[in-house]
Amino acid sequence: MMNEKTTKQQKSTAVQTTGHAWDGDLQEFNNPLPRWWLWSFYATVVFALIYWLLYPSWPWRDSWLHGLKTVTFTVGKEKVTTDWNTRAVLIQELEEGRSATVQREFMEKIAKVDFGEIQKNPEMLAFARSVGKGLFGTNCAACHGRGGQGVVGLYPNLTDDDWLWGGSMEKIQETLTNGRNGFMPAFGETLNPQQLDDVATYVLTLSAEAPQSEASDRGRELFQGYGGGCYACHGKDGKGQQSLGSANLTDRIWTIANVPEKQTLEDKKAAVKQVIANGVQNRRVMPAWKDRMSPNEIKLMAVYLHQLGGGQ
Amino acid sequence: MAQSVTLPSEQQYNYEVIRKFTIMAVVWGVIGMCVGLYIALELAFPHLNLDLPWLTFGRLRPVHTTLVIFGFGGSVLFATSYYVVQRTCQARLAFPLLAEFTFWGWTAGVGLGALSYMAGITQGREYAEFEWPLDIAITLVWVSYLSIYVATLLRRNQPHIYVANWFYLAFILTVAILHIFNNLAVPVSLTKSYSLFSGVQDAMTQWWYGHNAVGFFLTAAFLGMMYYFVPKQAGRPIYSYRLSIIHFWALIFLYMWAGGHHLHWTALPDWVSTLSATFSILLLLPSWGGMINGIMTLSGAWDKLRSDPIMLFLITSLSFYGMSTFEGPLMSLKSVNALSHYTDWTIGHVHSGALGWVALVSFGSIYHLFPRLFNTRLYSQTLIYVHFWLATIGIVLYITAMWVAGIGQGLMLRGFDQYGNLAYTFTETVEFLHTPYVWRAIGGAFFVVGVFVMVYNLVMTLVAARREEAALQAKLAAKLARA
Repeated sequence: MMNEKTTKQQKSTAVQTTGHAWDGDLQEFNNPLPRWWLWSFYATVVFALIYWLLYPSWPWRDSWLHGLKTVTFTVGKEKVTTDWNTRAVLIQELEEGRSATVQREFMEKIAKVDFGEIQKNPEMLAFARSVGKGLFGTNCAACHGRGGQGVVGLYPNLTDDDWLWGGSMEKIQETLTNGRNGFMPAFGETLNPQQLDDVATYVLTLSAEAPQSEASDRGRELFQGYGGGCYACHGKDGKGQQSLGSANLTDRIWTIANVPEKQTLEDKKAAVKQVIANGVQNRRVMPAWKDRMSPNEIKLMAVYLHQLGGGQ
Repeated sequence: MAQSVTLPSEQQYNYEVIRKFTIMAVVWGVIGMCVGLYIALELAFPHLNLDLPWLTFGRLRPVHTTLVIFGFGGSVLFATSYYVVQRTCQARLAFPLLAEFTFWGWTAGVGLGALSYMAGITQGREYAEFEWPLDIAITLVWVSYLSIYVATLLRRNQPHIYVANWFYLAFILTVAILHIFNNLAVPVSLTKSYSLFSGVQDAMTQWWYGHNAVGFFLTAAFLGMMYYFVPKQAGRPIYSYRLSIIHFWALIFLYMWAGGHHLHWTALPDWVSTLSATFSILLLLPSWGGMINGIMTLSGAWDKLRSDPIMLFLITSLSFYGMSTFEGPLMSLKSVNALSHYTDWTIGHVHSGALGWVALVSFGSIYHLFPRLFNTRLYSQTLIYVHFWLATIGIVLYITAMWVAGIGQGLMLRGFDQYGNLAYTFTETVEFLHTPYVWRAIGGAFFVVGVFVMVYNLVMTLVAARREEAALQAKLAAKLARA
């Protein structure tokens, strides 16, 4: 078998080369085009011709051949038929596609109800979770982290039950719509180093991070009196006011000074002192989302965020 | 014909510039592929950018592509085209000084380009990142290349121009046109320029360039290489002259139109999209013509695949060529492209062509060329087998990982849940990519290790050649002394 094949090849060698030789032994057979290759090539030509006939193809004068294929879609009550083009395909998908339709129906329902009704309706809640997950991943995760855990000192944790600006759905909706600007003045100029030290010690006693002492007593006087004036925002009890976005200093949740990570009392005090001295300025800005998300989306986000942490 | 018998090739042909290009090809290959492996690891483990701007993926990626395409690929093409044109024309290379200039100019251009990208100087055009001063330098090199090539063809002592030269010439001519038009720009400083085109025209010009860089630099030119080294290594005539003519002209004519398929579903007019998709489909069989001609050349001598590792490289490269030229038209269809575009499927496709076809056919040709250029034997046949298997396993791991990554991410990006909302966020798709990215890096590591095996083999070949020559000289000296 093998031999037969070889001799056949050798015979064909003699007959079929083009007769040229380069670089000593470089030669060419002149076998005919393989049939399957030729017919497959013709098939691709036919494919291209049909494609050109159906879809926009060759430029022609100041326009192009539009093709026979059309796209029909309904916008509102108007039925539109046009030549096939990617824009029309997109509109059709957005108007009539299965996912688009399902989403639109839900959105229409959501627009008509308030938070109470959404919470009572398991299907709407599930829809809110579905929308919220995507919107959160696209818009919020960059700062607040994929799970909403935040970054201490920069971006609040959204999964705990501590809310600077209020944890009701309405409050969250407000926060999302208009944004927030957290602000605390710097006390580095007003208070002397000793006083700063005292106030920091007092603040740490509020969450039982430091024992009561003479220093903390002095600090309390500054905190609760005109000397420091801290109470104006944080309240006499240090529990903060959500209307101002001032932090609750008694709940052991730290959003700016990273106290839990510090080992010694001195380090903890230093961290708190730094915040008191420098204040919090231009670093706790939550953008307003009303121009980037629809009112409906913000509503659904509020529901999503509410159930993400300890909503109030 | 008669002339070649009288002179040894060393004196008849200019081998010096070919040797230089061959060695630089290996050097660029090693650096470029190591950079590729590093950025593959960066994608899997982002901390590897070490917070150094010049080490980030964005800067190193064009370093990788430039070094492997223009450094490695380009130098292999210069080397083999100078070799092939001389041997098939039986004429010495024209303009020897200009040929030297093409070597130094090209090498400096590629090196400076890579450094400039690390410094953050780039046009931001894929595969054409060189800023305008380097573009002008490259144009000078390229015009010299063209004139050397044409002048050598005109000097030929052969009535006919061998098919390999058609491909090389088409490549040189087209790349000149592509390079000039895509880089038309207004300079505003030594390191910054603005493209003459804007908007979708700019994008279309860039991908007309980009796709034809693949078509002419990485396909037509390497087919030229194939047309010489496959029949030479097999010791058999090319399968079909007729097929070579038909597929040459079909390929050259059709490739020019296909670039728009890189811009499906964008602001590109729909008619341009359709034309580029159909021309890509039409390209399938002309591309396969080259594969058929190469593989069928071996018909009747299949046993060479068992005994000749260089043949193994060449034939496997043609198989990968066939596979990626099938995958390409498939991905150019708008519906498939909607899934594959902006995913790693594209990266996998490029690498099945770049590693499977371009690099393997180059390795095979370098192994064929090396002993002939240095007038010696290769140090080890076994190491060629080792290189072959490392490379092949590496490629398979690489492209499989990218299929998983690309198709997986594509499906995730278009996934909807029962409420009509997107099922996955972008970050979730990135998280999914981690595992295939690790496998891609492992595949790349196999490939790079293979290249190091080749380097060892080639260095030992040179060392052995030098030792042999020294021994020969000593013998001669001894003989002379006795006389």
